[in-house]
Amino acid sequence: MLLVLSEDHKEHLAFLPKVDAAVVGEFGRIALEFLRRGTSPKIYEGAARKLCVPVEMVQRGVEGLMFLMTESSKHMISEVDFLDSVLVLGFVEELNQILLQHHSEIRSVLSLLPSNLPAYHNMEWRLDVQLASRSVRQQVIPMLSLRLLLMRGCDSCTDHSSRVLQTDPSTLLHLISTLEAALVAMKTSHTRRILRNIK
Amino acid sequence: MELSESVQRGLQSLADPSTFDQTSFPALVDVSFRSLLSSHGDPGVLDQPELKQVDQVLLKQSHTAATTFILEAVKQNADKSSVSSSLEELTFSAERIEIFCSTYQKHKKELQHLLASIGRQPPQINDVSWRLQYHMKNGQVDKVNEPFYMISLNTENKGTPEDINFTCTMEQLQDLVGKLKDAAKSVEKASQM
Repeated sequence: MLLVLSEDHKEHLAFLPKVDAAVVGEFGRIALEFLRRGTSPKIYEGAARKLCVPVEMVQRGVEGLMFLMTESSKHMISEVDFLDSVLVLGFVEELNQILLQHHSEIRSVLSLLPSNLPAYHNMEWRLDVQLASRSVRQQVIPMLSLRLLLMRGCDSCTDHSSRVLQTDPSTLLHLISTLEAALVAMKTSHTRRILRNIK
Repeated sequence: MELSESVQRGLQSLADPSTFDQTSFPALVDVSFRSLLSSHGDPGVLDQPELKQVDQVLLKQSHTAATTFILEAVKQNADKSSVSSSLEELTFSAERIEIFCSTYQKHKKELQHLLASIGRQPPQINDVSWRLQYHMKNGQVDKVNEPFYMISLNTENKGTPEDINFTCTMEQLQDLVGKLKDAAKSVEKASQM
C-alpha cells in the first residue's frame, strides 16, 4: 500500500532534502519526541537559528515528518512501499532508517490515544452478612460487595473510576454462568474462522 | 420492649372497654395493620363506620400508638409471648391480646420485608449482558485485529436502573470470572459452617 501525500505536505517537506543528513536526522528525532512528549517553541527556534530559516518552516517540516511517520505506522506499510512513497520527496537514507526502527513504538503510542469506552481493570470482592439495619434488627442476609475498577483513556491521562456494587449469592451464580458462556463463544468455529481470515 | 409515654397512654385507652367496645377494637387493630401495609397513605383510613362512636381525638392517639407499637415489635422481631406480655402490662384483656396477636402473626413477615427494604445500599447487580466484537481499525490505527468483549452490568439502585458498560479482553474476562468463582466458593464454604 502506497502512501499518498498531498501537495501541501510535499511542500512542507520540500526543504529537507536541501539540508545535510545530520540535520534531517535531527529533525527526525524532534518529530519522534513530539510524538512521545509534545514539543516546545524553543526547540523550533533553536533549529531555525542554526539553519537560518524561518521558524514556521522548521515547524511545518517537523509536523510534516511526524504526519508521515504516523500515517506509515498506522497503515503498517512495508519497507518497500514506504521507500516508494517517499521517493518523490527525495529523502535520504537516514530518515527512512529512523522511521523503520521506531515503527512499533509509534504504533503503540497511537493506540494509546483516548478511547471512549471504559475498560476493565480489576475487581475486588467481599462476602458480608447483614445483621441489622436502622429499621430492622435481627437480620441474616448474606451479600457480596464488589468493587469494580475501570480505566478510561491512555496512560498519562488515565481516569480510574471505581464502582461499589452489591449482589446476592443466587445472582452471583447467574453472573458466573452467563460470563462463562461468553468465554465459550470465543472458541466456537465461527469465531475462529473470522479471526483467522480477517487479517 | 420500651415504649414512650404517649404510646403507652394511647395503648391503654385502646385497652379500655369504655373507649373501644367489642366492635371498634378489632376494627382499629385491622385499620392499624392495613395502614402500615398499604403503599399509599389514605387520609380516610379512620373513617370506618365501626369507629364512628369513638372520641375522635382518642381514636387518633390510639391509632398512632398502635402503629408505633406494631413497628417496634416487628423491628425487634418480637415473638408472640413478648408481644402478649407487653400488652398485658398495658392492661389489655386476654381476649384483646388474642385478637391483636393473631393479626400480628398474620402480617409479621410482610411488615418485616417492608422494613428491610428501607435504607441505603449500593446498587444491586441484577443481570449481565455481553457482546463479543472484533476490533479491526479505528481513526488512529489501522489493522488492529483484536477481539474484545463489551460487558454491560444491569444494576438497580432503589428502583432506578443503571447500566455499567465496560470493555475487556479475553484474559481480563477470564480473570473476572475466576474472581467471581472464588467468591462463590467462599459463599458455599460459609454456608456449610
